[in-house]
Amino acid sequence: MEHIKIEATDRSPEIDFNFDANVFTIRGESYPEDVTAFYGEIIDNLESHLEGLEGGTVEFNFELIYFNSSTAKVLMGLFDTLEETAEGAVDVVVNWYYDEEDDTMEELGEEFAEDLEHATFNMKKSG
Amino acid sequence: MLAREMYEFRNVLRQQGIVFCYSGYITESVLTGIGEALKQKLVLEAADKTTMRNIFAIFVEQMQNVIRYSAEREPEDDTDADGELRYGIINIGIDDHRFFVSCGNKILSEDVDRLNARLGEIRDMNDEELKTLYKEKLRAPTEATSKGAGVGFIEIARRSSDTIVFDFMDIDDEHAFFALKAYS
Repeated sequence: MEHIKIEATDRSPEIDFNFDANVFTIRGESYPEDVTAFYGEIIDNLESHLEGLEGGTVEFNFELIYFNSSTAKVLMGLFDTLEETAEGAVDVVVNWYYDEEDDTMEELGEEFAEDLEHATFNMKKSG
Repeated sequence: MLAREMYEFRNVLRQQGIVFCYSGYITESVLTGIGEALKQKLVLEAADKTTMRNIFAIFVEQMQNVIRYSAEREPEDDTDADGELRYGIINIGIDDHRFFVSCGNKILSEDVDRLNARLGEIRDMNDEELKTLYKEKLRAPTEATSKGAGVGFIEIARRSSDTIVFDFMDIDDEHAFFALKAYS
């Protein structure tokens, strides 16, 4: 699948999905007007790509500063997809970057990580 | 006369610690604009990053609640969701060194009991219970009457450093006024 690169705006994050390298990054703030319009297609593309993988390693980087509750719903679905992928023959590494002065973002990462059994989860301090 | 009138109105707001006040139709671009100014103000107040992000998060969820659910709207029929305007009032202020966001809008009287029960449950939950409910709602299919994730109130309660405060008042046979305040 073709590399997806979307620039960040005030309310939507940078998207960098490199399907050839299996490295995926969401970076910035996320409270778009219409969450489905922003994430719908790119998440669909990602899901069909992950379903087709038969091995190898997938790296997913979350470098989020702030996200609203509608985005949280998308992220929860994404974490479930990554965990399902990791249950098969694919190694999944999830990196959660958080500002060390922002306790809430750290806690949110820990909460998403609680449900991962097969995927590897790393907390990474930034800023 | 005009200056006095506006100055007195300003002072009424300032005496309550209100730094931002908006009453009117709330759109996504109003959210963006006030949000940018709020971020600047939080930086100037030298708030710590956790407080800054939490108060901003509460603001976003409150504004999006009005945009999605206020019962005071134009046009009154719901044929064109994109062209509609919804009315609400939002105050952001500082009270005893803590930031707060309070928000009010009309709702349908028939929704008062459901909303009151739902908010009461959320208000009385501890952090662990809120987390469990939050994750449950994030995984649940979006509710039919909800344009958003239906988790906005839980998000507000989790981001709030103190118990959320909410209230209802009957306006007429069909409408009530709903207000919600959260601190961080």
